[in-house]
Amino acid sequence: MTLRAQSVTLRLGTAQVLKEVSLEVTVGAVTALVGPNGAGKSSLLRVLSGEIALPGVSMDGKPLAEMAIRDLARRRSVMTQSASMAFDFLVAEVLAMGWVDATREECAAALEERAAALEERTAALEERTAALEAVACDCLVDHLLDRRFNTLSGGERQRVQFARCWLQIWRREKSGSQAPSRYLLLDEPTANLDLAHELLVLRLARRASAANVGVLIVLHDLSQAARFADRIALLDNGAMVATGPPEAVLTNATLSRVYRTPLCVEHSPSLGRLVVHAQ
Amino acid sequence: MFAASLDALQPRRRGVVVALLGCAAATAVALALAFGAMSIAIADLLDGEGLQRTVFGQIRAPRVVLAGLVGGVLAISGATLQGVFRNPLADPGLIGVSSGAALGATTLIVLGPALTDALGVLSFALPLPSIDAVPFAVPLAAMVGAMLATLFLYAFSSRYGQFSIVTILLVGIAVNALASVGIGAFQYLSDDDQLRTLTFWMMGSFGSASWPTVIPAALLMALAATPLLLACRELDLLQLGEAEAFHLGVDVKRLKRRAILCSAAAVGAGVALAGMIGFVGLVVPHLVRLLIGATHRYVLPSALLLGATLTILADLAARTLVTPAELPVGLVTSALGAPFFLWLIARARPR
Repeated sequence: MTLRAQSVTLRLGTAQVLKEVSLEVTVGAVTALVGPNGAGKSSLLRVLSGEIALPGVSMDGKPLAEMAIRDLARRRSVMTQSASMAFDFLVAEVLAMGWVDATREECAAALEERAAALEERTAALEERTAALEAVACDCLVDHLLDRRFNTLSGGERQRVQFARCWLQIWRREKSGSQAPSRYLLLDEPTANLDLAHELLVLRLARRASAANVGVLIVLHDLSQAARFADRIALLDNGAMVATGPPEAVLTNATLSRVYRTPLCVEHSPSLGRLVVHAQ
Repeated sequence: MFAASLDALQPRRRGVVVALLGCAAATAVALALAFGAMSIAIADLLDGEGLQRTVFGQIRAPRVVLAGLVGGVLAISGATLQGVFRNPLADPGLIGVSSGAALGATTLIVLGPALTDALGVLSFALPLPSIDAVPFAVPLAAMVGAMLATLFLYAFSSRYGQFSIVTILLVGIAVNALASVGIGAFQYLSDDDQLRTLTFWMMGSFGSASWPTVIPAALLMALAATPLLLACRELDLLQLGEAEAFHLGVDVKRLKRRAILCSAAAVGAGVALAGMIGFVGLVVPHLVRLLIGATHRYVLPSALLLGATLTILADLAARTLVTPAELPVGLVTSALGAPFFLWLIARARPR
């Protein structure tokens, strides 16, 4: 159960963006993709999402190119770094866009039920439409649902987009049935977030992996990567430098070479984890 | 871009707004049928074969139907194109469809006599009617022009395997410029009569409506507009961005192709019969978004209804304000639409 890129090479114009890169996103684990600016992290994410169609990318052994766009959307969601929308959508509407499995009528019904619940002031959370509300609460955006998306701050928008992506592959817990694997690909989900919300999003990503989702996060903060990821993939100049558990990948020599800056990796006994800082 | 007053607007209220717009459209149709250059009483319609009955059935009714259809189709195409381009300024006129249609019609109006002569030589001097006098000839030429402009646009902007919106807008500007060169050249070549015909056609009018031309155009417009109405959820998802829409399961390339071709066909059919009618495609979707928000499931049907209502009323004004003469309806819509658009820009809050 993996989303796998096998020696992928990508050329955009004259630039060699990815050279023979291989990466596996495993179900039930968080993989952090790190590297300097321009290393090819976002490009690799676009390849894994199917947005750039390349041979050698497969989901659970099935080539991505052979999967229907809609089926793919049920199995993996992608959070990009996009910011605004051309028209004034409400936050609740943006969230409902993540609802790929629902038909138009179901989405409308859910929104109407919600509206009715608000009108009757029966604020009990459990009685409102389950998924949208639950996810919105998880991501701390439930108080924003009736706001217009374009009036939100950058960080709030990012949380809404994260919630939408989580909703896209959200599934009611079913016992017994063997559900197909799911993947969550996040491109710098914490870029505009304050410390508390950064922790929130990373914890939610961990929770997703605990719910048997394969999570890939592009991150810049190496200490956070060491803390939240099971595996780290280090990309430099379009080539994979190292993949493995944090202790194996994050070493003084490797990081200093890749980032062209003297970096120091320490194990903090009080925190009980690796901390990376510049010398 | 334009801040709307739709805070906490709930879906239930939106249904009410759509229903009200439906009532407004019905009222506009009734008003437009009731008033005109000739006063017609219901009694006149019920008995006899009089002039009133002919005017009502053969002149006024098809005209109201055509005005409603063209207005609705322009508005829904404008809303769709704004959605596809993710740009609130997109409009059928912007991507060159309307000017392509205009060039087609101009070509036929001006070159018609010459073409007739050429065909006359070929047919060994058999008596032929002038080509520009053949029914359907000008509308057909306009539709051919609209389709050619769209195909040109499509071929050019998808040339390198990509289908980028910026390229479409830029190519649209070029198509507009080329078409106006052609139209200008033909205006220069035309004689006085042709120039008058051209000028009236460019200003837009529903005066030529008759059932034999309206019915085929109506079928074509309905055929072209239906896929647009069905694409509303995909259009919503596209507002997140093209990559994001793909991630959510939208075949973006197919959606754009369908939306652009269908709007071109619908607008081409409309422009072909009624000439250039400005600002309906641009302003009506904005009005609708102010009323009920950005969700296309509500925006598209509402734009259809409001576009039809406003165009029918504009046509009513065009044919009753200066009786027994008539104003070109394109003048009326532009005279109302342009100031409204400026007001929209003035009240837009900077973001």
